[in-house]
Amino acid sequence: MDAAPPPVPTDRLQARVVGYWVISDGLGALFLGALLWFVARPLLQEHWTGWSQTYENLLLGACLGFAALALLLPPLTYARWRYGFLGDLLLLRYGILFVEERAVPVRRMQHVDLLRGPIERLFGLATLIVFTAGNEGSAFRVPGLSLARAQELRDRIVQMRGDGRL
Amino acid sequence: MLARGHLHPLVLLLRLLDSVQQVLFLVVAALVTQQPWLLVVAGVMFLVRLGTALARYLTLEYTLTGEELRIREGILERQERRIPLDRIQDLGFESTILRRVLGLTVVLVETASGRGVEARLDALSRQDADHLREVLLEARRTRLLAAPTPATGEGAPATPQPEPEPEPEYLVHRSSTSDLLLRGLTDLRLSAFVVTGFAALQLAEQLGFATQLQGLAGTVRQWLGQFSPLVLVALLVSLLLAVMAFGIATATLGNLVQFHGFSLTLRGTVLQRRFGLLTTRSKTLPLERIQRVTVEQPWLRRLLGLAVVKADSAGGSRAQGEDNAGGWDVVVPLAKLPVTDEILPALLPGIEATEFSWRRGSPLLVLRTTLQGAILATLAVAAFWSSSGAGALLALLLIPTWFVLGILTYRNLGLAVSPRFFALRHGIVGRYLAYVPTAKVQAVVVQQGPLALLLGLAEMTIYVAGGSPTRVPNLTIGDARQVAHEVAALAATAAAADW
Repeated sequence: MDAAPPPVPTDRLQARVVGYWVISDGLGALFLGALLWFVARPLLQEHWTGWSQTYENLLLGACLGFAALALLLPPLTYARWRYGFLGDLLLLRYGILFVEERAVPVRRMQHVDLLRGPIERLFGLATLIVFTAGNEGSAFRVPGLSLARAQELRDRIVQMRGDGRL
Repeated sequence: MLARGHLHPLVLLLRLLDSVQQVLFLVVAALVTQQPWLLVVAGVMFLVRLGTALARYLTLEYTLTGEELRIREGILERQERRIPLDRIQDLGFESTILRRVLGLTVVLVETASGRGVEARLDALSRQDADHLREVLLEARRTRLLAAPTPATGEGAPATPQPEPEPEPEYLVHRSSTSDLLLRGLTDLRLSAFVVTGFAALQLAEQLGFATQLQGLAGTVRQWLGQFSPLVLVALLVSLLLAVMAFGIATATLGNLVQFHGFSLTLRGTVLQRRFGLLTTRSKTLPLERIQRVTVEQPWLRRLLGLAVVKADSAGGSRAQGEDNAGGWDVVVPLAKLPVTDEILPALLPGIEATEFSWRRGSPLLVLRTTLQGAILATLAVAAFWSSSGAGALLALLLIPTWFVLGILTYRNLGLAVSPRFFALRHGIVGRYLAYVPTAKVQAVVVQQGPLALLLGLAEMTIYVAGGSPTRVPNLTIGDARQVAHEVAALAATAAAADW
């Protein structure tokens, strides 16, 4: 983008995180859509006199929109996610509409967590949560890592901090 | 073992007065309404309060060792709190009039937990408190000497100080009464009312009026209910004007009371502030705990060449331009601009030798602000069209207004990266300067929203410990990435040097 662009992270997440996101986040949206269509629609039809075909179409559109979001957001998010180490810095870059780039000196990290939810475990994935000092913006996560990679990253951070005092 | 002690016995007198104050209302109510059971309730309340106070007084014991501050209290529910010395950010003293007369002071122990005050010792004798502080500073100094790399993971490179004898104390700044008077007169923000109200309420509480004030507010509300709307509006407007005049007058008074006799001194690497007329406050601030220093000039003060200097430590947090209750973060209440520049090196050693080469933001920000104005104007016109017709077109004036705002923002925006400090200058009509030591940077973030993505703009945020992120909106994405990378690299280097 520029004459001398600063280095950007290049590592990508595990592709199967898309499946995990569809299930973990997408299911909620799908459920909401189904709820609107199969529960709210009959109720409205019955009890609201102003109900018309236009509203029905709008509702259908909203439900289909929910479904589309549930299926589309995960691959887009996956496509935009990048992370990587640059010397003593951990770099992250993510976001679709709101893009965020984050640089954190490894030696400033307070502690590192590995999180594996039940669905995540099914997919063989892990989330790395890193904490720095401070209240706001002090914790951030790197999702969609294979367990081995997450452990490697954690060990690398511990090692870089130099004394294993994590 | 370096220091150990209990609360001062006179605390019991304070608690007794507190308890009397608490039940006084009930007793009066009982006498007026002739309900004897209220007296019984009051008696029980009184005894319970006094009992807890007595229990706390008898059991509370603090111990300061070379490693930690230990506070133990409770009879049925034993509690022992241990605070490692490394984690203690600040030690504050606070003393209300009554406590001052009795020679007592409240000790506030602050850590980086974000809650601010971690432990509160209410109250110690002045000598005990001073002793505690001396021992704490001494312990910190010997720790720094013993281990030049502090174990906190956030301290600056420690400069070992070989002199073992008590260090001399230098006066960095003292506020004159005229400074404080000016501070009050130029304090036009709403928070001035809040500060004044807060001070008044505090005074009322000390004198035991708080409950009566609440009753009064209810009566006033009832009284207002009987007027016609027109009279009520006129009444409200004149009341508003009166409140404003009163606000300016009392803000001046409030500032005089709050910051009376403000002095900033430096001993070794520890700053100390002392101020206050009714409630005296005294607070230490180790230089290595300073996360950010800001020089703030709202428009009126900028016009007069006056500025306030504040320092953020990892303990508290606040938004830009906002005052913390009690003025804990204020380092210089008010001074002429050149004077504040002379004080900066005392807060950020090394800044005097730093050359800042200022860069500007992106002129595209004018376009963005104007676009935002246009969006707002469109919405306003659409909203008012049906009700006021062509008059709604007046909202189009928003566009040139926002354009001017954009130009002003652009003219004030500047940033500079030097090896040890990141500096930011921003404002619309006011002017705000922020200095962040690169060694304190915890994370650097570059963000782009949809409109910014379209225009190639970005916002950069620099996070330090303690919740006061420094935001630089309106950079081009290229500049933002470049600066963010520079700052992050400097932070990483500084972090490596700490180990």
